[in-house]
This record gives sequence, structure tokens and C-alpha cells, in this order.
Amino acid sequence: MTLSTAALREIEMIRGKYPEPRSALIPALYIAEREFGWLSAAALLSLAEALDLPPALVRGTATFYHLYRHREMGRHLIQLCTNVSCMILGAEELQEMLKRKYGLVPGGTTEDGRFSLLIMECIGVCEGAPAMQIDTDLYQNLTEERLDEILSSYG
Amino acid sequence: MSEETKNITVAINGKEVEVSPKTTILRAAREAGYSIPSLCDYELLAPIGACRMCLVEVEGMQRLQTSCTLLPVNGMEVTTESDVLTKARRDVLELLLINHPLDCPFCDKSGECDLQDMVLKYGPSIGRYTEQKRNIPSSYEDPLLATNMERCIACERCVRMCDEVQGVSALTMVGRGEETRMEPFSLESWDCEYCGNCLPACPVGAILSTVQMHNYRPWQMNREVDTVCGHCGVGCQLVVQVRDEQIARIDSRTSLGINRGLLCSLGRFGHEYVGAEERLGSPMIRRDGELEECSWEEVIAFVADRLTAVKEQHGGEAIAGIASPRCSNEENYLFQKFLRVGCGSNSIDSLSRLGLAAARRVFEDLLGSGALANELSAIDACDGILVVGGDPTVVNPILGLSIRQAAGAGARVGILGRASGLDRVRAVSMAPGVERETAVLETLLAEVAKERGFSDERVEKAMDSLRETHRAPESPEEGLADLRDLLRSAATLAIVVGPELVQRPDGHRALAALAGLAHCLQARLYLQAEGANEQGLVDVGCEPDRLPGGIPVADQAHRQRLEGLWGGSVPVEPGLSLMEIIEAAGTKIRALYVMGENPVFKLPKSSLVRKALESLDLLVVQDIFLNETAKLAHVVLPAQAWTERDGTFTNIEHRIQRSPKAIAPRSGRADWQIVAEIAEAMGCPLAVAKVGEITQELATVSPLHAGLDAESLDDRGWLVRPPEERPPGESAAPPIALPLQEPTTNGVRLGVERLLFHAGTTSRHSPALLKICPEATAKLSVELASELDLEDGDRVRLSTAQGSVTVPVEIDASLTDHRVLLSNHFENAGVLGLLDYSLHPLTKAPALEASEVAITKVEAAEE
Amino acid sequence: MEPLLLKNTDQPNSADLAEYQRIGGYRALKKALEMSPAEVIEEVVTSGLQGRGGAGFPTGKKWEFAVRATGSPKYLINNADEGEPGTFKDRYLMEKNPHLVIEGMVIASHALGAQKGYIYLRHEYPTAGARLERAMEEALNHGFLGDSICGTSVNFDLEIFRGAGAYICGEETALIDSMEGKRGQPRLKPPFPVNAGLWGKPTIVNNVETLACVPIIVDIGGAAFAEIGTPASPGPKLYCLSGSVNRPGLYEAPMGTSLRELIYEYAGGMRNGHRLKAVIPGGLSTPVLPAEATDCAMDFASLVEAGSALGSAGVIVMDDTVCMVRVARRAAHFYEVESCGKCVPCREGTGWLEKVLSRIENGNAEMKDLDLLQDISDAIYGNCFCPLGDSAAEVVSAIFKHFRGEFEAHVKNGVCDLEA
Ligand SMILES: Cc1cc2nc3c(=O)[nH]c(=O)nc-3n(C[C@H](O)[C@H](O)[C@H](O)COP(=O)(O)O)c2cc1C
Ligand code: SF4
Ligand code: FES
Repeated sequence: MTLSTAALREIEMIRGKYPEPRSALIPALYIAEREFGWLSAAALLSLAEALDLPPALVRGTATFYHLYRHREMGRHLIQLCTNVSCMILGAEELQEMLKRKYGLVPGGTTEDGRFSLLIMECIGVCEGAPAMQIDTDLYQNLTEERLDEILSSYG
Repeated sequence: MSEETKNITVAINGKEVEVSPKTTILRAAREAGYSIPSLCDYELLAPIGACRMCLVEVEGMQRLQTSCTLLPVNGMEVTTESDVLTKARRDVLELLLINHPLDCPFCDKSGECDLQDMVLKYGPSIGRYTEQKRNIPSSYEDPLLATNMERCIACERCVRMCDEVQGVSALTMVGRGEETRMEPFSLESWDCEYCGNCLPACPVGAILSTVQMHNYRPWQMNREVDTVCGHCGVGCQLVVQVRDEQIARIDSRTSLGINRGLLCSLGRFGHEYVGAEERLGSPMIRRDGELEECSWEEVIAFVADRLTAVKEQHGGEAIAGIASPRCSNEENYLFQKFLRVGCGSNSIDSLSRLGLAAARRVFEDLLGSGALANELSAIDACDGILVVGGDPTVVNPILGLSIRQAAGAGARVGILGRASGLDRVRAVSMAPGVERETAVLETLLAEVAKERGFSDERVEKAMDSLRETHRAPESPEEGLADLRDLLRSAATLAIVVGPELVQRPDGHRALAALAGLAHCLQARLYLQAEGANEQGLVDVGCEPDRLPGGIPVADQAHRQRLEGLWGGSVPVEPGLSLMEIIEAAGTKIRALYVMGENPVFKLPKSSLVRKALESLDLLVVQDIFLNETAKLAHVVLPAQAWTERDGTFTNIEHRIQRSPKAIAPRSGRADWQIVAEIAEAMGCPLAVAKVGEITQELATVSPLHAGLDAESLDDRGWLVRPPEERPPGESAAPPIALPLQEPTTNGVRLGVERLLFHAGTTSRHSPALLKICPEATAKLSVELASELDLEDGDRVRLSTAQGSVTVPVEIDASLTDHRVLLSNHFENAGVLGLLDYSLHPLTKAPALEASEVAITKVEAAEE
Repeated sequence: MEPLLLKNTDQPNSADLAEYQRIGGYRALKKALEMSPAEVIEEVVTSGLQGRGGAGFPTGKKWEFAVRATGSPKYLINNADEGEPGTFKDRYLMEKNPHLVIEGMVIASHALGAQKGYIYLRHEYPTAGARLERAMEEALNHGFLGDSICGTSVNFDLEIFRGAGAYICGEETALIDSMEGKRGQPRLKPPFPVNAGLWGKPTIVNNVETLACVPIIVDIGGAAFAEIGTPASPGPKLYCLSGSVNRPGLYEAPMGTSLRELIYEYAGGMRNGHRLKAVIPGGLSTPVLPAEATDCAMDFASLVEAGSALGSAGVIVMDDTVCMVRVARRAAHFYEVESCGKCVPCREGTGWLEKVLSRIENGNAEMKDLDLLQDISDAIYGNCFCPLGDSAAEVVSAIFKHFRGEFEAHVKNGVCDLEA
């Protein structure tokens, strides 16, 4: 498993920006994720090599952050906020519905590989609670019906 | 570290104590006699304040404070025990235990577990946690280290040890929150140096060594003995834990020795050879071509008779001895005394001729005997470090650690040649190829000398002779300017010299150039030494031209004084050096007594060495294993191993440390005792009954050892102070301008690789080390491998004019040059025997010729 | 009160440079560049501005420390990690008024002598990132950023650094570790970032809203700024209202506006005619207040007096349909997920809290579990490395204290009264 030359060049560029090369790690992990789909052990090793960092440090940092993809994911990532503001207005019921109708549990993927679900800790759109993001699209004031409708628009 | 001034007064539990501003309250309280529980705090690591066990109350502060992170200020009033604190500690412990498996009965750490102790003292009596505990399977995949992450308390001591101290970062914490745990990460290996320094760092049973898994309980130990490691020249202090007269475990304490409890793989896991089945049992005499067991009486008489016969027939000069860096000062001292006055020969030398003994002579001749009197701890205070001639993290791992730590504290490390163990911390490196390194050093010297000049005429003259024949590089070499800047900008420079230089045809010039640099830049010089007691054997007189204390044989007054003390005469002429002895074997030399050494395997051109030794009238080998040399011997004398007998050892910084007897010998007799018995049988009594008497005699005889009292040595040992007046050098300005090595370009060369996981040939008998490094490999660069169409694991035959070996290929990305590297530890796969040499006229070291090697792939069927 | 921070943000093109300049944008920067750094800091000190990131540390004082710190370069970090549940003010500012944020940073850089700045942006905010990037480019092209700003010798290089999903990285030292490529866990203090922060250099960390106040202070003057709000907590303030209100949203009001006014005037009162039950006034790390406390003024000191804190002014309003056990459980879940794992009480205790609360919520608990809940909170509180763990304990205990009856009912009846 090796990073593409374009990715290596990008990583090299980021690395050059900081006085300490290790600072490139957080952004470079996104690049590795883009390249390999998710951060498998092999992906982390190749990134460690590219950054000339001990593999353990790369792994330690990667696993600390929840927004990296630590497992293989579906085509679309649902990031559903269920923190208090959203919860008050029904987010946990939405989570329940995703499980019931789509078999989606937190951290899991639908059988058809269409969606993965990540439960979020406040995505900062509490004025539009309940809210979620699918990939980079934001949806607010969700209801069960709307959620269904929205999901059907994703292939 | 220097003692801080204790200029701050704090009150701990009402008792006023003076502390330094950098001592944490936790340490200050302990010094004052109050124990505060702590888990994440560890002597060698920066505090992190994570476990929250060390809470104390501070007058005027609302919250409880973690004493491990709290620095004193004048007038601070601290309370270390109170009801509030007891509750807080019990609370923290209760939280710590909710996910802990509470499996003390099965846990190897039981009885020496900090958590267990603390729970007994402060802990809750019942657990109120009723939910599912964290479930993480234990891992036994690693050959030496087992992990049980359910027991882990996430204090990060192992990770911090591996990162902050060892500088390897093979360990990491992974996950977050409740899921946090330690993980060794990297697909197949841990990238681990197997220092095992994480083992004592772990306060619980989360990391354990499989070497004594289920075979060690602290309360079953018969005794613990602090001693000095016998594997390399650093001389680390360690703890031997004994059960049923076997070494059950090697432990360490952060308070112990100059190594502060840090060890390397050899020290921590390399002790099993002592109890190995294949240790020599009974003495043997060759009869009808076969070695046959015999009694001690018989063998002593036999050796004495044969030595006497050689002496009578050919004169004492026909007898020679090879001393051993694995033997103590006392043993080596007695051995050379026996050769000089018992046999009448000065032909005594050691394999340190390939290393420290020869190198230090170059430095001392040029700079005086104080040139190498530098304590290892001073490396911490250096802001520039030049490493040349070998990787200290491999040859002398704990010295290597000091360099890593100095680098961590800001020192700039420059490497000439290859030292991959320092790659992560180096600031500058330059690898011009071994043939060019001397020229690089001379260029550096020329540039530095131009600026700084020499303050000593003698040195200047010597350096002049270098300059006249120096071949400056045709074009500016990459890295040279950076290396020069590193040298020039350092306020305190250390130069760390490896054993490789002295083994090169122009190595003495490199050493001389380094001496010049050290002189101009007032640098501290450090010599690496592979053998544990190389420095010691030199100091006690195991050199053909030097008597105990480093006094030249030619010094008549001293020699006569010695003769008086010894009650016998010492030959006037210096004896033969190591390679001269070998070359003269069968002609001028008729009998050779090898004590604890293996020249057949460890010298170049083994075919020649073997033939030479076979032509001797008498070859006596005294050892703990039937090694390659012993197999040729007429007489084999089983000796005792490390920890089986008393003695002192001298490390590379000239520190004399005790190596006390810790276990009953498995077999054999102490080296000194065997020598004394043979001497006695030859009618030349050496008059010693105990090791202590030899130490006392040494202190009387040798000016270097005057004042040494073995009985009073603690874990810091005793530093030899070089005499004020330097003994005169061989000449006013030693000739050093011998020709430079000619670079040859074509062909693949064979080079020597030193392995972190092996030392000499005893490590062959240590199963733990064999697990992590089971066999010799031919290391080569990625380019060379593709050029030769070789892959990892392919078996190749390496052939030189001297012979051939067959080993698997290992591609090493850190190699850049056109060489194949092979180690010299494994039977039938040693590199040295394959190399040719020429006797260096000045250092008398065997200069290894850059031998061309033919590499052929061997198919499995062919073998 | 005329909006200052949200001025013009109801316009669709409020993020454009032209629009921003039309209403006087970058006027303050030009003014500041004519002042000496010391004079700018003096204005900030006079303004009485307190950090808007949660702790309320006086910004002027922080800047004075920073100027005195030795070492170079100095770094300015804009803390845009906004992870505090119930808070969305920084996102709004960055999306709708990015130039105000940038202008604030450039002025700060001039005052502090920091030539390099970073915006540590949480990854959850892609739109804010895009708007900032566009605004930064505009500013660069117009000489408000980069080299020779407005033709002076002042240089400031600004860059966005995106996080990767960790609430604790909003804590300034964890943020710095994260930028250094490490696991973002809080560092031991001292040394404080102003003395040894990013890569060991003096580093000033300020919140987005704090920095957005800076152009206003320079523009209207520190004294005029101090006139707004209360003497102890001056200035305009962004309040984020969410939960059971009619018009959830972001409102700018003088510091010290009462909770009642915010809920009933600004946010249009309670939804569907329900009754107010409880308010979390400053984001999920501040203790809940019961309905009776609505007269409390929303400023740093008053809220502390009321037993809570202003925090990030994320006002989460709960009506009488909301189960407080559930809120406590969800809060504990947040802390369990976001605990960095460094210190024992928070790492082990937050998870335990959540587990016990789940049992209570689901009716699988006994009365003695209520004592256990309190004991766990007490064991965590005061024993943690950083405020995160303490908050977990405080928040859970406050809900328990004010709504103990609901907890007991859950245990007794096995279900939530509200659902039954
Ligand atoms: C657990 C924790 C989370 C925090 N999260 C944020 C945050 O998301 N945004 C923020 O500006 N400050 C946050 N802070 C406060 C910062 O540590 C820091 O005080 C602040 O950024 C300083 O800026 P200010 O003085 O302008 O408020 C957090 C603090 C803690 C303890
Ligand atoms: S309280 Fe402790 S574990 Fe929790 S976030 Fe802070 S440092 Fe990390
Ligand atoms: S020893 Fe102080 S917090 Fe662990």
C-alpha cells in the first residue's frame, strides 16, 4: 500500500509549512484517508513512512480523533447530532428510526453499503435542531419523514 | 545532573524542609520521609499529573493539588495525609478499579504491583461497579513482551519511557477516553529495541516479559544482588534476582548506577547463557586427537608441565597469552603477572587490539593520559556531539541513549558514516563511504585548526605531518560544511568514537585527526568498547609493552620496583602484540594460553588463524563454552561465568565497579583460581587465596589503582584518575602520516555489521536473544539488492579469498553504499574470518582490508 | 441595541469584502495600524473585554503577558473549535462575518507582534471554512492580509488548521498539541501558552468572538465598548438559543441581559405553550438552572453567583416535556465520548456515570444507585486534570440536585413519568 505521487507531493508541501514535520500529521491523515478510503493499519504505515515518523505515533494520533475513518465506510456518511439541543427535539428518535428502518447503528454501515452512521456531539447548528450532515451537506429541522425523504435522494 | 541549590523552604506536614525550586513536592515529601502514593510519576520521566493519586492539600489553595506536578514556592504549606486526602485517594482508586480485571492471583506482578499495594492501603473494600468491564484480549504474539491491557491503568509510563527516554516510540496510547490503552503498533514488529525498559516502568502487570512468565514471584526469590552487566563497556548496574541458584530475572532500579536503571536487550534478556546446558563441565585434554575429560589435578599438572617444558626448551618468550574483556580486573591482572613472571614472557595482549586498546593509545600518545577521562553523564551537558566510527546505540546502547537524550535536550548530533540508531535525532549526517571518512576528518581538522590554532607545540607538529600528506577533496562534499558548523558552533562538544576506525588501514590517521579536533575544540572524547572490561584489561597490564598502571615495560625503575613486589623478573623487551602472536604461532611462539576469548572466530582471516593455532605445541583455552578456538585446543579449562565469581570491572569512562558473586557456579573454576593453581604447579606461587587479595595487590602495584578498595565500592563505583604526569609517549611526536587508504571503486565490498541483540559469541547461548534475532543475515541496500536481483530471505553465498558462508539476505533501507554487511556472532556465519588484514605498523591492530565479496544466490536444493 | 458583531449579517452578501467595506469594514485596521501596538493593547485593556471562549479571562491582560513573553516568533491562534454543545456563535460569525474575524486577527497580530496566525477550525464546519478561505483570499488581494498590510511594514500570514473531531481540542493546550500532530490532550500548566505554546513559542489563543470584538473596540474606542453591558462584564455578547423555544437562533445583546429577556423576548418564548423547566445557560459544560432562576443576568459574575457559568453562552432551554434523567444521561454520554482519557477520574468516571444514568433512565436501577450516582460525581469533581471532567460531575450533580424527584420516579416506576 503506497501513497500516490500526487499525495506524497501534497504531504511534502504541508510538511514544509511547519517548523516540526509532525505538525503535518493531522492534515496528512486526511490525505491518507482520501487515498485509501479509510485509515487501515497498512494505510497508517505508509503514511508513517511518508512523514518519516514512528508508526506508533501516527497510530496514536489517528485513533484519538473521531472524525477520521477508522473502518471501511459506506458510500455516504450520515453525521447525526444527538446532543442535548437536538435530542430535546427528537434526534434520538431519528437515531432509533435509522436502526429500525435501515439497520444502521452508530459506527455501522447499511448492508447495501449505501450509508454509514456517525453519532455526533453537537455539530453547531442547534438553532436548526435536530440537524445532521450527509457527506458535506447540512440538513436541519429534521423529522422522521424528512429524514426518509433525504436519504432516498442519495444513491 | 548537577545538584540544584536548595534555596526554597516549604513546610510538609508542619516540618520545614529546604528544597530546590525544581524538585516537585512529591519528591520533596519523599525525601523528607513522607510517602505519597503515585502511579503515573516515574523518576526518569517528566511528570504528567494523570493518575491523580498523589493529591495533597496546600494551604490557601482551594483544590487538591497533584504533588507530582507541584513545584515549591517559599512558605508553601503542604499536608500529605488527611481525611479529605484519604477519601480522594480512595475515590480515585475505586474509579481505577472499575475496569481492572482484579486477577491478582494469576498476575505475575502480584507482590510487586504498585496498584495492589495502594489498594491495600487506601482502597475501597468492595467494588460497586456492576456493569460490563472493558474487554481487551491479552497478547502473547511478541517473542519477549506480553501485554495485558485490561490491567493497564493508562499511566503512560511505558509509552513515555519508550518515547522520552529510549527515543524509539515503539509504543503509543491509542483510542480516547475509556477506550484508551497502550498498543505496540506497526504491522509485524514493534520497531522495538527490546531494551525492556518499559517493564520496570509499568506499575501493574500490563506489560510482562515472557522470559520468566509464570516462573517468577517476588516472594520466591532467594536473594537479589546488585551487580554490573557483563556485556559491553558501559558497565550498567542491574539487579540479579536469584531462585534456586539460577538467575530468575534481571531487574533494574532507577536509582541504580550511572545507567539510572536503564538497560539494553543484552543486559535485561541476555543472561540465560549463564545457566546454559552446553556450559563446559569438566576439564579436557586432547588425547589421540580427541578432547577427553579429566580431573582438575591432572589438567593443572599437565598444563604446568607442558608450559615448563616449552619455557625450558624455547625460553619464556615462546609463551604468549590472550586476556579477556569478559574477565575481571583481578583475573586479567593475575593472568599477565603469571605470563610475565611465571612464564617469563611479555607477549600478552587481547582482542581489544582491534578496538579500545589501540584507539586509546593514539589519543593518549597525542594528548596525554587525561584525554579520555570523561564521565558519561557529562554528555547530557553537551550541545554538540560528533559520532564517528560506529553506532553507539548498538555498540554501547546506554551511551547511545545519553546521546539521544542530549539531542532531546537540544544538542546537535552530527554523524560521519553510519549510525542508524541516531537517525531520528541527528542534525547533520555525512556518509562519504568508509574510504573517504579519514579525508573528511582531516579536512575538518584543517579548517578548524586554521581558526582556532593549537595550544600545544607537540600536537601541532603531529598534526602538521597529517597536513603534509592530506588529500583534500576535489569538490566540496555534501554535508561537510554542516558538519563543520556543528563542530564550530558547539560550546561543549563531545566526540564519540566507535571501534571501526582502528580496524581500517588509515584508521590511525582518522583517530589522530579526531585528536587534533578534540584538542582545538576542547571536546570531550569518548571511546566505545564492545567488551565489558577492555579498559580494565589495558589498565591492569594486558598489553605487551605496558605493565599494570600503563607504565611502559621500558621504564626500568618501575619494572624493577615491580620485580621487587612480584618476587620475580620481568623480561626487559616488550612482547608481541595480538596479531604478531598469531603470526608467530608455531615458530617464535610455541605455547598460547587463551583466557576467555575466541580468536579463531573473532579475528580476520580465520584460515590463517586456525592454521597458526594448530601449529602450536600447546594451546590452552580457558572458557565457559567449547567455542571455535577451544575446539582446537590441547587443553580446555572450564571457567566460571558472570555472576558466579567476585571481581571488579572498569568501564569506558574508567569507572571501576564490583561484580559480586550472586549464584553458585554451575561448573568450572574462577579464572584467577585456575591461573593461580597452574602457577603454583609451575613453582611460581602467585600467593593469592581470595579475589580481594588480588585487588589489594593491584592497588599497591599500579599507580592507576592506588586507593582502590573493592569492599567499599557502591553502585557508583570508583573513578580511576589518570596520574597528573602523563607517561611519555612512544616518541615526542608520534609518526602518524602513513598513507591514506586508496579508494577502490569496483566490486562489492564486505563490511562488519554490529548487532544490537548480540554480544560476542555468548549471546548464541541466550534463547531470549535468539528469539528476537535468530540468525545472521547479509544486509544490503535496496539498490544493491535490485542490482543483484535479490529479495529479502533469499539465501546467498558470500565468498572471499578467505572462505565463504551462506546466509539469508536482508534488505536494509538505511544502507546507501555498495557493501554487504554481515555480523560476527553466529557460528559458521561470521564476517571477520572472511576478511583479510594487514598488520598496522603503528597501532598493531589488524587493519581490515576492504575485501571484495562474490555473492551468489543459493537455491534450497544446493544446500 | 444596534448589532455590532452581527451588523449587516442579515444581508445575503455580508461575507463579501465589498459589502463589509461598504459598512466600514477594515476601517478599524487602518486606524489600528496608525496606533502603536501598545496603544492598541491599551484600548483593549480599557474595553474590559473578557474572553468569549468560556473562561472569561481579560483579553487585555493576556495580551500584556504575551507582549512581555520572550521568544520568537509569536503565534496567534484563533480558537474556532467551538465544540461546546449548544453553541454556534463562532460558526455564525465565520460564515456571515468572516472579514470581521480576520480584521480582528490582523489587528491583534499588529498589537502582539505575531506574524503568523492560525485558525484552528473544527472539521465539522466546512461552510465556515470555505467562507473564511474566500475572505482570506479577498483580504490578501486587497492588502489587508499578508505582507505590507495596508502599505505598512506589518506582515501577517494567516492559515486555517482543521481539527479532526475532538471536543477537548477546544482547550487551548490540547489544541496546541493537536496542531503539533499529537493526541490532543491538555498540557501541564505552567508553562502557559503565552510563554511556551505552539512549538514551544509564545502563543496567544483567543476565541473567534473575542477576536471579532477587537475591530469594534478599535473603531468605537475601548471606553465606548466598556459602556455596553455591565461594568464587570462589558461589551456586546452573542447568545445562542436552542431547545424548546419558538425562535431558536443567535442573538446579539448587551452582556448582562437577563435569561428571561433572552428566552421570552429574543427567542420568542416557549414552544407550543409549554412551560419552562430548566435552562443550561452556557453550553453543556455549565450546570443547569431551574426555571425559577430566569431573572438571572447573563454575564460571568451573575451566573457564577446563581450556581452556574456563562461559558460559551449556549443557552439550552428545556420545557416540561423534557426528561431530565435523559438530559443527564445524554450529557454524561457526551463526556464519556469526549474525555481525552488522560486522567483517571474523568476517563473512568464519565463512562460509569453514563452507565448508571442509563440504568436509571431505563428503570433498571435501585434507590442506592442514586447515592452511587452522587458518589461517582463527587469522586470525579475536583480531582481531574482539566475542567472537562469536573464539568461532567458538576453538570450531572446539578441536574440530580434540582430534579431529584424525576430520578426517584424513574427508579420507583421503572419508566419516565413524562412518557407514562
Ligand atoms: C474542555 C474545554 C473545551 C474548550 N473549548 C473551547 C472552544 O471550543 N472554543 C474556545 O474558544 N475555547 C474553548 N475553551 C477555552 C480555551 O481553553 C481558551 O480558554 C480560550 O480559547 C481562550 O480564548 P478567550 O480568552 O478569547 O476566551 C475550552 C476549554 C476547555 C477546558
Ligand atoms: S479531565 Fe482528564 S481525562 Fe478528562 S479531558 Fe481533562 S485531562 Fe482529559
Ligand atoms: S503521580 Fe501525580 S498524578 Fe500520577
